[in-house]
Amino acid sequence: MNKTQLLQGTLDLLILRILELGPNHGWGIANRMRQMSNDGLTTSHGSLYPALHRLEMRGEVKSEMTASENNRRARVYTITRTGRKRLNTETETWEAFALSMRRILRERP
Amino acid sequence: MIGRLFASLRGMLRRRQIDREIEEELHDHLEREIEAHRSRGASPEEARRLALSDLGGLTQTIEATRDVRATWLDTVWRDVRYGVRIMRRSPQFTVTALTLLVLAIGSTTAIYSIAYAVLVRPLPYPDAERLVFLAEKDGAGIIWPNFDDWRRRATSFEGGPASSLADAVIVRSGPIPRRFESRSVTSNFFRVLGVSAVQGRLFDEADARPDAAATAVISHTFWMREFGGSPAAVGQTISLTRTSFTVIGVLPPGFRYMTPADVYLLLEPQVAANYRGMQSRNTRTTLFGVARLKPGVTVTEARAEMQTIAAALAVEQSNNSKNIGVQLVPLTDRVVGDFAPTLTVLAGAVTLLLLIACVNLAVLLLNRSTARAHEFRIRAAIGGSRWSLIRQLLTEQALLIVTGGVLGALAGAAILTGLVSMAPREIPRLDEIRLDVGVLSWATLFSCACALVFGIVPALKASGISGSGQQLVVRSGRGSTRSASSLRRTLTIAEIAVATVLLSGSGLMVQTMVRLARIDPGFDPRNLQMASFSLTGPQWPDPRKQVFYDAVVERLRAVPGVENAAVAYSLPILGSYWWNVFSIPGKTAEHWISVGEFPNAGMLPVTAGYFETLRIPLVKGRYFNRSDTSDSMPVAILTSSLARKYWPGEDPIGKQLRQGFPSEPYGPWRTIVGVVGDIKQEGVDRETSPQIYMPIVQQPRTTVFAIARTRGPLPGSWLEAAVHDLDRTVPVFNDRTLDQVMREASSRRRIAMVVLSVFGGVAVLLAAVGLYGVIAQGVADRRQEIGVRMALGATRDQVLSLFLRHGLIVAVVGIGCGIVAAMLTARSLASLVFGITSRDPATLAAVAALLTVVTLLACYVPARSATRIDPSEALRSE
Repeated sequence: MNKTQLLQGTLDLLILRILELGPNHGWGIANRMRQMSNDGLTTSHGSLYPALHRLEMRGEVKSEMTASENNRRARVYTITRTGRKRLNTETETWEAFALSMRRILRERP
Repeated sequence: MIGRLFASLRGMLRRRQIDREIEEELHDHLEREIEAHRSRGASPEEARRLALSDLGGLTQTIEATRDVRATWLDTVWRDVRYGVRIMRRSPQFTVTALTLLVLAIGSTTAIYSIAYAVLVRPLPYPDAERLVFLAEKDGAGIIWPNFDDWRRRATSFEGGPASSLADAVIVRSGPIPRRFESRSVTSNFFRVLGVSAVQGRLFDEADARPDAAATAVISHTFWMREFGGSPAAVGQTISLTRTSFTVIGVLPPGFRYMTPADVYLLLEPQVAANYRGMQSRNTRTTLFGVARLKPGVTVTEARAEMQTIAAALAVEQSNNSKNIGVQLVPLTDRVVGDFAPTLTVLAGAVTLLLLIACVNLAVLLLNRSTARAHEFRIRAAIGGSRWSLIRQLLTEQALLIVTGGVLGALAGAAILTGLVSMAPREIPRLDEIRLDVGVLSWATLFSCACALVFGIVPALKASGISGSGQQLVVRSGRGSTRSASSLRRTLTIAEIAVATVLLSGSGLMVQTMVRLARIDPGFDPRNLQMASFSLTGPQWPDPRKQVFYDAVVERLRAVPGVENAAVAYSLPILGSYWWNVFSIPGKTAEHWISVGEFPNAGMLPVTAGYFETLRIPLVKGRYFNRSDTSDSMPVAILTSSLARKYWPGEDPIGKQLRQGFPSEPYGPWRTIVGVVGDIKQEGVDRETSPQIYMPIVQQPRTTVFAIARTRGPLPGSWLEAAVHDLDRTVPVFNDRTLDQVMREASSRRRIAMVVLSVFGGVAVLLAAVGLYGVIAQGVADRRQEIGVRMALGATRDQVLSLFLRHGLIVAVVGIGCGIVAAMLTARSLASLVFGITSRDPATLAAVAALLTVVTLLACYVPARSATRIDPSEALRSE
């Protein structure tokens, strides 16, 4: 299995993408990330939570404490309009970047 | 920006909730992850381990998440909480540091506030630096004819010199006439000062013409109180002592010249009427001049011009040339007057105290940062950044300073109230004194700077992160304190020196007060109650006054609690109100000119019973009695030194004298019937002044004092009741005890003594503590060395003397510097000390001895602990 370390700055983008699909809590986001990349991307869960809170401080996601099973409470995150806007622009940037990278790497002299 | 601040504040308040939610969120994550791992077949332990490692540690993640949430305000708040915790964990340090700060900030602020209000703040007149004060030679009141001459000849002044004298008027409106302070001024007075009216107008030359209507100017407070601030006051008449005056104008609020006054009258008409014999050259007056220097004219130039004028006058008036001369000083000097040296001393004392408190604070912080060096090194080693350490230290110091500053301001206000209540009423501009914010912030800043320099720099040095920041080699704790301990020693020497200066000042003042208390004032000042009444106006011809005095005395003697009573023109300590030259039969003016001085003395009309009431001892002859009446032979009683001076070796009883110059006599020849003890008429600390007493029935006066010897406190209306029983229109005022008068007279000295003694005591204490610290630190630093010495056979006495010698050197150097400083600053006390020189060697020696004993004691305690060191233990300890 080929696990790739996350590139700097891509974590925010991944979180926003997952939340675009629907509100989710931290573990759910981490799990979704694993599934969607077929276990191809790993991130330390330790950096996930600071990133989530940073996004909330910047107003790109909002959160709410909701009751979950077993008497616990979980924080559920929802993407905001600002978050969507950022996701769109950064997705474009990222695709353009990825395309350029591929072109350069596939180019045979 | 504001929005963010609010968000930060809200965040801070919700801090706990957010923290709890973060924990909950991560615990929830952990549980889910563990379940996920278990569902894939991991054992519970394995699942937990995997989940935790994926999270990178639960606590760390919680911290990291919190940090995202934290704002700068949270950081400050955390530092503050940590600071408070540190302060609470070392209460001894905190209390000591706060006490020092409160002491320094509080006393500095209070005393500098007074000094600023009285000394520095300019007079409330425009271009006040051009105003000068004029008096006769030696500061005596100006004789009107002289003033008239100055006015005609002087060219240095803008609008000529003005003059004024403080007086009192009786306002005859309402059922009982009331007495108000007044001031009689020349018509140019207000223009010279540069004030203008808020209503109507002030005096001009036309008002001073002989045919002009009688006019008055009133103060703002009088206007508000008597006329309700109505503009219609201008043009109304007020009925005063003798005549009615038309109010022409109101002065601005707060206007004041020397003493406050409510009514201002013109001086020129009073001179024209020869009121108080002002046209004569022989009467002493309380008239003083004020003038505005023309732009560009200096005080020295004006003084030179006035001296020339005075010299010319002296030639013309060959009569009393000895007394001619002019005193010309800046008005500020005069207003600040006698109080300046006291304030200089207080300001000096408080500066020294501030210095000593800051030195102690410095030593304290220095000790603390050396003690905490270990903590800082560890924090630096585990990755605490230099900035976060500095921030933490800054927060700690700020916490200390802010608390100290607030408490200091409160203490300052309390000290200020205390000092103002102790201060004499005549101290200028007392009512204008407020706690000065500028001074307060200055003192706080000073302590701040001190805390920064001594608290943070050594701490950073000691933590080893100030330089390259990477020298984490653990250095020996002792090596790094070497420079700190030499600094501490220097600071202690400075403390001892300052303590020496303060203590010698306090010693001088205590001796001064003791000497003053030992002086025999010539009468018994205890249980004497006094008040004034005034018999003014045409309805009081002399015969009516003569009867009235005795009637008042009669009634007072009947008051329960009154042992004896009398009426007099003036009282001891208050001064001689009437000073005059006198003549002796057979001695010509030429004789006295050859002697160099005409005989002169205070003239003091009194009722029979005055000497008995005051308990002034009879030396020879008799006291006045009821047989001395307006029709009987004019008599006089002299003080004994006066009798000895002019009738040496003779019996003065039966001899004669007369007031005035031989060429210009005043009143009848009087026969001397008695000699009484000398008396401190001008004040306990003054030269004994000669007095000539005469029966008041033979020399009636308008405003007089009633004085009663009491068995206890009298009701407030004691004199009013007696006087108004006889005549309801006589104003009574100025009720005091002679004790109060005497206390007020010595209040400058008492303040200086109290402040110097309290500060001196504190300084000695601080110096002793400082020295104790130095020696104790020395003992701690040299434990091993002592161990070696003792192992090699040094006796306990040798060890003891090693440290005592060290302490003694510090003490002797400190005391030596202090004595030199005390000698250099002695001049500032010169005008306050009494009966002793301000460089009194005995006092300095006593202070040196006392400080030596105190410092030796301070050394002995820690030095003795050195002798208890067990050599084997000390050698093993490192």
